Amino acid sequence: MPEITLVEAVTQALAYEMQNDPNVVVMGEDVGKDGGVFRATQGLLDKFGSQRVLDTPLAESMIGGMAVGMAIRGLKPVAEFQFMGFIYPAMDQIINHAARIRNRTRGRLTCPVVFRAPFGAGIHAPEHHSESTEALFAHIPGLRVVIPSSPRRAYGLLLAAIRDPDPVIFLEPSRLYRFAKQEVNDDGNALPLDVCFTLRTGQDVTLVTWGAMVKETLAAADKLNDEGVSAEVIDVATIKPLDIETILASVEKTGRCIIIHEAPLTGGVGADIVALVAERALFTLKAPPVRVTGFDTIVPYARMEKYYIPSEKKIMNAVHRLMEFT
Amino acid sequence: MKIFHLPDLGEGLAEAEIREWYVKVGDVVTVDQPLVSMETAKAVVDVPSPYAGKIAQLFGKDNDIIQTNAPLVGFESDKIKQDEGSVVGKLEKSESKWDDGDVIIGQAKTKLTEVNKIMPAARVLAKEMNIDLALVVPTGPQGLITVGDVKKLLLERSSTSTAKHTETLHGVRRVMAQAMVQSSQEIVPVTIFEDADITSLPANVDLTVELLKAIVTAAKAEPALNAWFDGKTLERTLMDKINIGLAVDSKEGLFVPVIKEAEKCSHEELRKYIEDYKHAVANRSIAPSNMQGATITLSNFGMIAGRYATPIILPPTVAIIACGRTREAALCRKGKLIAGRIMPLSLTFDHRAVTGGEATRFLKEIIRYLEKE
Repeated sequence: MPEITLVEAVTQALAYEMQNDPNVVVMGEDVGKDGGVFRATQGLLDKFGSQRVLDTPLAESMIGGMAVGMAIRGLKPVAEFQFMGFIYPAMDQIINHAARIRNRTRGRLTCPVVFRAPFGAGIHAPEHHSESTEALFAHIPGLRVVIPSSPRRAYGLLLAAIRDPDPVIFLEPSRLYRFAKQEVNDDGNALPLDVCFTLRTGQDVTLVTWGAMVKETLAAADKLNDEGVSAEVIDVATIKPLDIETILASVEKTGRCIIIHEAPLTGGVGADIVALVAERALFTLKAPPVRVTGFDTIVPYARMEKYYIPSEKKIMNAVHRLMEFT
Repeated sequence: MKIFHLPDLGEGLAEAEIREWYVKVGDVVTVDQPLVSMETAKAVVDVPSPYAGKIAQLFGKDNDIIQTNAPLVGFESDKIKQDEGSVVGKLEKSESKWDDGDVIIGQAKTKLTEVNKIMPAARVLAKEMNIDLALVVPTGPQGLITVGDVKKLLLERSSTSTAKHTETLHGVRRVMAQAMVQSSQEIVPVTIFEDADITSLPANVDLTVELLKAIVTAAKAEPALNAWFDGKTLERTLMDKINIGLAVDSKEGLFVPVIKEAEKCSHEELRKYIEDYKHAVANRSIAPSNMQGATITLSNFGMIAGRYATPIILPPTVAIIACGRTREAALCRKGKLIAGRIMPLSLTFDHRAVTGGEATRFLKEIIRYLEKE
């Protein structure tokens, strides 16, 4: 099996599905000739032609609307937004239409569209290029929010997202795009949506995270292991709908729960997980559930960025605090 | 080799003619460096290189006609610097491997003990009053320990005089108590006894190592006993690896360090494992990870005293072998009495997961191994 990066896994999944399903269409700004801002769609135009790989004008609202229309009429558009911070002009199309088509038509029509966007900080980018506003989408009924954190999960989850009959917001952690390589079998096997992935099993504390923060969380877990604290690491992967059962099963075992996300604290998905843990597992908790998150501020520019992203140290400190409760 | 195809040089032009190559095979070019001069129906244009890298092949000579989208130039692929997009930001890049570990889709299944459900206020009260929650009788819904339950125990404490030698178990002894209770509540144990004739083994033979070897052989022949069983889901998992838990006695209580992948160990390695674990147990330096993952257990209690036992299985394993004190005995051979040595063996198996046939065949393999030598 070839070893590829996360962004190459995205390309591979798109190519596989385009090859096998003539209804799959890729669209977005510079996705064709240029191969996409991060080259996630590189080579697709040559391979599948301009009927199926569409360079759109610089107009996100239009990308959203066009994709919804195509999806309703039977195509499976995979629309790329260059950065998560550029999705906002298309929010009307996504919230008012894509997310509601099934409900509006009482199930007669569905909207099998995937809206892809790189997201997250850590790439020394200007404003609007470092957003982690996944909670905005998780809040909207009718949307799936899927976030891969490894090349294998990027491949398997993107295939699942394209095959899903309903709209999926597929957020790719740009910080991990080329961070490391992994063997990925180009066999067209999708991974399940709506299920967490348990990356490390442990007894003492449950670390719940997703996206690029999986990197710092795994590093923290490995260091904690050397200290004799065994951490269970859960990659949520599908933020909405949330597989809370996996998280609860783990928390019941460990009695301690930390949610780590890069997004700002207030109104983040972490708040929801803490609420569900409190509602359903309070009596098994040995310590209060806590969150380690970004700050309630705009993501700073390159120089300050590292102070914004929750560090391995910050995660470990939180674990140490919780381990004081016995 | 990565191939650069002739792009459409005008608007819908079907072909172009090579006027002059600016590069030859072996040249190293940069992005946008002119590769070739091509004449189309409309104009003569230079075709710039889309990649930086070394030229491996030119598809055509001067004056050749090349169709649009036909191969034009081949690049040595590993020399190509990949175009990674140029817009904003810097991506961290490395050739390192993404180590996910063993990813489990959904939940991890190992759940060792029952969860205690405790009202947060009860937990705080118990801590303040130094009450061990394991001693509190829960009365809340689903086994929840309430504040009232803790208070009740406090009241009982103050009304009865405490005996001097009462102690709440902690540490290893406590783990032992819990494991034994769990075992007796969950497991359906059956114990069988048999003697191995070890008369022919040399007097200085390392019996513990021989037993470990015998278990490995028997587990290969009868894998049903080298397994885990989950009573809730009724899932039985036959293990590929043979990780033998070795019961080690100590003042603090019973330790069961695990000899991992015993099937791969030589006699010497097994002996070293045992020595290392004895020391580690003696100075309490044994790592928790070395006490997990047993697939079968050996208790060699005979070094102290006792012939047979009904050893208790440690969930989720399904079998434990106990070896009693070896002794001289009168043996009947071909109608004659001889003086020999026997090793008394006891095997407890979990009858939920193992059949009597499997267990007896397993025991027979152990004996066959010991007697063959």
